Amino acid sequence: MLPVIDILVDATLITLVLMLAASGLAVIFGLIGVINMGHGAMMTLGAYFTWAATSAGIPFPVAVIIAALGVGAVGLLLEHFLIRHFYDRPFETLLLTWGFFLVATEAIKIVFGTDFRNVTNPLPGTIGIFGLELPTYRALVALLSVLLMLGIGFLYKKTNLGLTVRALIQNREVASLMGLDVSKLYKQVFVFGAFLAGLAGALISPMLSIDPYIGNVYLVRSFFVVTLGGLGQLVQGTLIGSFVIGGSETLFALATSQVFAQTIVFVLAVVLLRFFPRGILSARS
Amino acid sequence: MTQNSTPQSLEAPSKPQRLRSEATIAALVFAVLTLLPALADGYVVYILPQYMTFGVLAMSLALLWGFTGILSFGQAGFFAIGGYAVGLLMSAQLPINGFYLGLLAAALSGAVIAGLIGYFLFSAGVRDAYFVLVTLALSIVVEQIAVSQSQWTGGWNGMFLMRPTLTFFGLSFELFDDLTVYYAVLIFVLLAYVALYRFTRSSLGKIVVGIRENEVRMVSLGVSSTFYKTLVFSVSAVVACLAGSVYAVHSGFVSPSLGGVLFSTEVVVWVAIAGRTSLIGALLGGIIVSSLSNFLSAVTPAYWQLVIGLIFILAIAYFRGGVAGAIERFFSKPFKGAA
Repeated sequence: MLPVIDILVDATLITLVLMLAASGLAVIFGLIGVINMGHGAMMTLGAYFTWAATSAGIPFPVAVIIAALGVGAVGLLLEHFLIRHFYDRPFETLLLTWGFFLVATEAIKIVFGTDFRNVTNPLPGTIGIFGLELPTYRALVALLSVLLMLGIGFLYKKTNLGLTVRALIQNREVASLMGLDVSKLYKQVFVFGAFLAGLAGALISPMLSIDPYIGNVYLVRSFFVVTLGGLGQLVQGTLIGSFVIGGSETLFALATSQVFAQTIVFVLAVVLLRFFPRGILSARS
Repeated sequence: MTQNSTPQSLEAPSKPQRLRSEATIAALVFAVLTLLPALADGYVVYILPQYMTFGVLAMSLALLWGFTGILSFGQAGFFAIGGYAVGLLMSAQLPINGFYLGLLAAALSGAVIAGLIGYFLFSAGVRDAYFVLVTLALSIVVEQIAVSQSQWTGGWNGMFLMRPTLTFFGLSFELFDDLTVYYAVLIFVLLAYVALYRFTRSSLGKIVVGIRENEVRMVSLGVSSTFYKTLVFSVSAVVACLAGSVYAVHSGFVSPSLGGVLFSTEVVVWVAIAGRTSLIGALLGGIIVSSLSNFLSAVTPAYWQLVIGLIFILAIAYFRGGVAGAIERFFSKPFKGAA
């Protein structure tokens, strides 16, 4: 296999996994304007729930669903008792979700300990597609990520629920006057975002060693993905953002070390934000 | 961002009272800190300067968050940069005193980095959440560079440094004795407090508060908000870097975790709990919460952090002014009615 193709395949897989990680954030940030600093902690929770479920003998696919639903439930509690009172003050929700991050991380440490945990890869080995050798599990997760994004796009653009959510974004007051239950919609969106974060954490868990801080790295990257892509540009924005962040990181990592690549990407993201403060897609239209 | 925690500071009648009370409390705090070594035992004298540098770090954040309305999650990144700057220059065998050069380098690097980031982001109209994220990324980057460039920084093992000898006008002080170090650090804290206090009371400080309260109005009055926000961010970064340098010299050790996300978060928590619009409150908050943290994390390591997180959520949700704000509100009630 040509090295160029090798690199492209690697970059594509990284991009798609990153898109999966960013999806929950894109939904919550893009649709209801809450900057969920607890996104990373939610992913970590999803990973730990998966670990706990698989160690209890539950098969992996079921464990993933349990984990995602569990994180969704945590999101519901968080929204109901705290976040919903602060929707008109976005900066307060940022700090409160950061507080959630602190509490959730400590709770994870107390319940699961700080040692590294590993979830066994359910699909080890490689698979041949079009003459390319791909690691089976990562390829499957990438495929799921694409399907998930398409599903979200369909939900958002083609269904009644999506229509009401779009009405909500366009004009909250009018939407509420037209008889939409705004607070219920906010709750649904927030819980769905938490569910997605949990799902991402669960699906990513076999790819790395789990520790209480694994969500952190994804938190910042996901934010850059969402802001670069542009708010409210759910599908295209998240895809483009993931490509810029994930793709460039893979390419830079070839030339230098992993750490420098990350530094360069962060600097790149800051510079891009300077010229496209509302995201790449929003600036063009 | 709505910031209505200190409307009283803008009203004429209560301002002199607030001024007097802050100055009185500051005088009291510094008097206690000066007399403390006579009363306390050796360990307190050894460890307290470390927490005082944390207090200065907390003040640097209060200047940014409380007075200007910009929250940074990267203050610990600057703290670490300051520490490494001094460490690197002191370990390089230079003809001049490496400590002074280190302080200078720390201040310069803080000003340049914050100036660049600030200019890029503020001129693009980036605010609130985005700024938090970029500064969060900054502290991640600082930690990662400190870990990976181990030929200079010692990587995970950190960097050790010697306590320097200071020379003033031909007099030299060897900073080996804990008591000497204690007073040297105390003088630094006092200077930092007075400088920041003067800054907030100057016309510059008033412009900055104006930007916090109503940026559009300040811009239409002809104030370049980009310039002033960048300026405040740089000042705050310089203070954080210097605090890091002093910390490094006092503890004799710098490690990557000083710049990390967790430590950055802790600073935000101290300031949120103590009260973000009071410098002396932030200083005390930094000293008290960090020393309590250290003490209690030895007793109940896991649960203490959890409690800190819960207190943080409560402070954000219900006590926007933190402890300082609550005390102030309590005392100013008879004068102001329902505050």
